[in-house]
Amino acid sequence: MTNLDHGKFTRVTTLFHSLLALDVFLLFFTGYAIMFNSELWWMVTLMGGATGVTALHRAAGLGLVALIVFWMVLMVISPTGRSNFREILPRKADVDAFLQDVQFMLGRTDERHPHARQFAGYESDEVPLLSYVGKGVVFIFAVELLLLTISGLLIWSKTGLMQYFATRTAAMAFVIFHGLLGVIMVMGVMFHIFEHGMHPAFYPVETKAFIPRSMIPESHGEDDDHEGTGIEALELAPSWHSVSTIFGSLVVVGIVSVLMGSIVREGYPVPRELVVSGDVTNLLLTIGINIGMFVLFVGIVLSMYGNVMRVRWEKEMQQRQREGETVADGGEPQTDD
Amino acid sequence: MSYETPEVDGYSPISVLVSAVVGIAVALLSVWWASGFGPFYETLFRVSPTVEGGGVGSDWVAGNTIPSLDFLIALVHAADVIMGVFILFMVFLHWASFRRLAARMRHPEESESGEA
Repeated sequence: MTNLDHGKFTRVTTLFHSLLALDVFLLFFTGYAIMFNSELWWMVTLMGGATGVTALHRAAGLGLVALIVFWMVLMVISPTGRSNFREILPRKADVDAFLQDVQFMLGRTDERHPHARQFAGYESDEVPLLSYVGKGVVFIFAVELLLLTISGLLIWSKTGLMQYFATRTAAMAFVIFHGLLGVIMVMGVMFHIFEHGMHPAFYPVETKAFIPRSMIPESHGEDDDHEGTGIEALELAPSWHSVSTIFGSLVVVGIVSVLMGSIVREGYPVPRELVVSGDVTNLLLTIGINIGMFVLFVGIVLSMYGNVMRVRWEKEMQQRQREGETVADGGEPQTDD
Repeated sequence: MSYETPEVDGYSPISVLVSAVVGIAVALLSVWWASGFGPFYETLFRVSPTVEGGGVGSDWVAGNTIPSLDFLIALVHAADVIMGVFILFMVFLHWASFRRLAARMRHPEESESGEA
């Protein structure tokens, strides 16, 4: 049996995921500190004021161009990349998986579709490389990152940008356009953090994005007689109920606030239309957007924790392989020969 | 279970190296290209003909005079709202699913009370 619950991707992919996450988080923190500067004034100050925050945003932007071009080239020139491309194309099973997930949420079916399963357990062989949510994340993030990079490069030189637009206001409007483009992604990342942090079987983080597949031991033909995924055998973490409830609420507040903020505070120097907003809405928006930033911060911490788990796992594997030790279920020591 | 790890078709070191070099080169070139936008100062900050009388700063008053950009902003607002609502739905869908899955797992308090 292959055990894809703990490691699924190559070492290059997991490392790329961590680097991309770090870079995108830095872009979010700097970019939205600029866009929501009324609500996130302390972040602007913390990152060196307007000069510091824009310099950091540009440095991270440079890193993003390098990372996405690296990935696109690797996908084209390597056989692994080309063969994986077929794996991420949407299929009918993905639509079925979404519909079955709705049924599962409503209690009308007992299992999630294999294309939706994050924890597959004894039925790991049925799950594809990416779930339907994973495919959606890849496609939406790819389009968003491409558009954000192109529009970001156009904004790089402000005087250069202005000559392409009739007025300074129009040039600023293009900067707003760039900020609004990222809103889908910032909301998506909050969901991504919830999805991969709060699954009861993996809480507090799914390791498959951090531990490469090549480091996951596999067994053969021992688990064929089990029914279902075997999630019943796992023990729920004592803190799961309270933490998932609190964090889920924070994610919802964060998403709603960033969305409201993007509509209310679109930041034109000359507003397109009068916006009715008083002290209470300002206060709620300030709290909500800061909660959204906290959710992103939790994401960066979980990403770090995933990498700490990988290092621990690596050490443990090396030690056990050196000792040729067997586990309690009676497995035989095997060598690569 | 054994500690035999699978043979995985990973990425060859040369592919990774070539991709990394191209990635860094394109990043540097794109930023070099973007920094080098030479503004034509004659056209920069010209008094906008859309404001009657013109004058210093009238380009701010004129606002966004590019209909296509205005449309793009409205379009992204709409996309943000539609995707925002969908993403919220996905959060609730997963939240509910996770609670169902958690209910099937063994609960620590159950095993503790069983022992007592």
